[in-house]
Amino acid sequence: MTRVLNAKGQDLRTVSREMKSLIEEESVVTIKNASHLHGLCAGLKKGEITIEGDSGDYLGVLNDGATIKVRGNAGKYIADNMTRGMVLVEGDADYGAAQYCYGGTVFIRGNAGDFAATMNKGATIIIGQDVGDEVGTYMLAGDLIIIGNAGLNLGNYLIRGNIYIGGQWVSLGHNCRQERLAPEDLTKLEGYFAPYEIAVEPKRFKKITPQSVKPFYK
Amino acid sequence: MPIVGAFCVTLHKDRCINSRMPGKCATCVEVCPYEVYAMDDEGQVMVQNFNACVGCRICVEFCPYNAIRINPAEPEYISRSLWTFAQVEEIHYKSLTGQYLLRGFGTMGPLPHFDNIVVVPSQLASPPPKDKYREECKMEVVIGEETAKNPIRLRLPIIFPAMSFGALSREAKLALAICAARTGIATNTGEGGVVEEEPYYSKGFVDKEMTKRKWSPGGHLVIQWSTGRWGVSADYVNAGDAVEIKIGQGAKPGMGGHLLGAKVTEEIAKVRGIPVGSDALSPCRYYDVLTFEDLKKQVGFLRDVTNYEKPIWMKLGPSRPYEDVRMAALAGVDAISIDGMAGGTAASPDVVTQGVGIPTIACIPPAVRALKDLGLHRRVKLFALGGIRGGLDAFKALALGADGVGFGTAAEIAMGCRACMACHKGGCPYGITSQDPKLRARLDPEAAAERLTNFVKATAEEIKMLAMLSGHDDIKELSEEDLRALDINTAAITGLKLVGYERRLPWWEQQETTR
Repeated sequence: MTRVLNAKGQDLRTVSREMKSLIEEESVVTIKNASHLHGLCAGLKKGEITIEGDSGDYLGVLNDGATIKVRGNAGKYIADNMTRGMVLVEGDADYGAAQYCYGGTVFIRGNAGDFAATMNKGATIIIGQDVGDEVGTYMLAGDLIIIGNAGLNLGNYLIRGNIYIGGQWVSLGHNCRQERLAPEDLTKLEGYFAPYEIAVEPKRFKKITPQSVKPFYK
Repeated sequence: MPIVGAFCVTLHKDRCINSRMPGKCATCVEVCPYEVYAMDDEGQVMVQNFNACVGCRICVEFCPYNAIRINPAEPEYISRSLWTFAQVEEIHYKSLTGQYLLRGFGTMGPLPHFDNIVVVPSQLASPPPKDKYREECKMEVVIGEETAKNPIRLRLPIIFPAMSFGALSREAKLALAICAARTGIATNTGEGGVVEEEPYYSKGFVDKEMTKRKWSPGGHLVIQWSTGRWGVSADYVNAGDAVEIKIGQGAKPGMGGHLLGAKVTEEIAKVRGIPVGSDALSPCRYYDVLTFEDLKKQVGFLRDVTNYEKPIWMKLGPSRPYEDVRMAALAGVDAISIDGMAGGTAASPDVVTQGVGIPTIACIPPAVRALKDLGLHRRVKLFALGGIRGGLDAFKALALGADGVGFGTAAEIAMGCRACMACHKGGCPYGITSQDPKLRARLDPEAAAERLTNFVKATAEEIKMLAMLSGHDDIKELSEEDLRALDINTAAITGLKLVGYERRLPWWEQQETTR
């Protein structure tokens, strides 16, 4: 059963406590008027939460198993340091989406800002439209999929992991190289696209991987 | 021409081929432009006039058997400063390799430090001294009493500051945890993730379920939240008793960290959650903090993730202590550690460790003023780190206004380190900063913990002794009045009264009256 929380005028501690007790009752939770709350849904291990409208910053930080949906736009640092679970944004995500993630899936249907997916250590991060500059900086593992275009220095100092991009980049970062798509890549991308009904042809994607396994010192 | 007689010239006869076969080699005689060496009629080479040696060391360069040593005859600060042998060799190293120098162990040389401060005992003009054998002195420090459901109660005003698993061996990390349990103090994970046993060892238990207690009274574990976020998850931040947000450190303030891929072994990769052999780069700043407001939000969500149970701590490097501590306190933390520039368990570029930062004794007074100005002194706890060697330094830091002190380098030494300063090379012969299983096998966590415990207990006794002889039965009562500066410089830096003058320097007094 779905329960609705109105966060208007409430502080993080109160909303967080009520939300957690609803999750314990196995309820699906919808939270309204939550854009002033930063760090909401932090470190949840289970539950299904929908934010009606826009979210504040650090939504779903340290998420460890919950499914969090944002109907509007997300603030800065959405899904920061996520380890498990799923974060879905229907609109755009501000600066620094899905940084420091170890696992789970982040899907942003709209655009994402600068420094998205920085230091990704294993999550699957899918951006439905364009991304800003310096996206995927210092990535260590995982897949970053950009359906649209990227700005400056895409994948700067890529350490490990893969970046797939459907559109163009303004410039590629240090230690990046373009690689031919393998049949496994096509299957993988199809698998990623199906649940979100993304109607693009995996074949037109470009794959970027690290040039050297040691990007800092020879 | 340098001073005559500035060098000792030593010819090692056991290496010199000429001493075994006279007439065979006289390279030194040939290359020396100042006739330091001579060959006699029998072909025997000797040092005929060491006073003439200018220290050019061309003989050393050319000697085929490495038999010659040229050493300064007196301290180089007198005869050769600025161009000491070490300085000359450093430039040669850079000119040969194109690389800067890297080392551990903090700032070397004459930095203003605790040695320029003395402790004032009680006589007639202040409350009489306390009897250490019969009377008690309260040493407890409580962190997060007003804000956290589970405040930390340190039995002694001592912590082990952040040193990561990766920088330290697993055995060293466990020794610190066991010692924390045995003395009731806190240890810190550092930013390299948590070693599996650390959470329950630091509590004094040998099993994960915490049913079998081995060490009493039980200590505390501070979990570090840093810029690389190694091994960080919701479970990680909840694995200890407090969360520390690292902003900087004394050894290399303004820089991040970098564990080279070569050191990311299978075990380290597992704890840090990254591929084996990949570089673990900790950026110099948070990519997920753009503004001070963001930092406040981080404090907020860390409280939320830890269910408002655990105190939040912040660690600062030595930069602008007044403003930095003020901001940290305004960000809403329960404790602040400030690391002076002498701090230095981390491998750091030599120029940074040597030349960047503010000395520890110059960090504490502004930090204390910042907290006092906010009405938060003794409420937000202040920990002084950086080159604190024992009870005497600790007492002085406490009397300057800190609530506690951290022992990083001293803790390593207590475990057996001999301060060779080559921690970053990974070959620590005592197994403290090495990841090599053979070297690590030399460090038994329990034996090292025994040494650490002895050190902590002795240090606590020293603090207690100094507190009681200056008339206090609670370390919270210690104040600047218990200290004097030995020289004008220290009095000027710290605002302490100068010995003999018995007053603060004029500008400090003026500042007081104009406030």
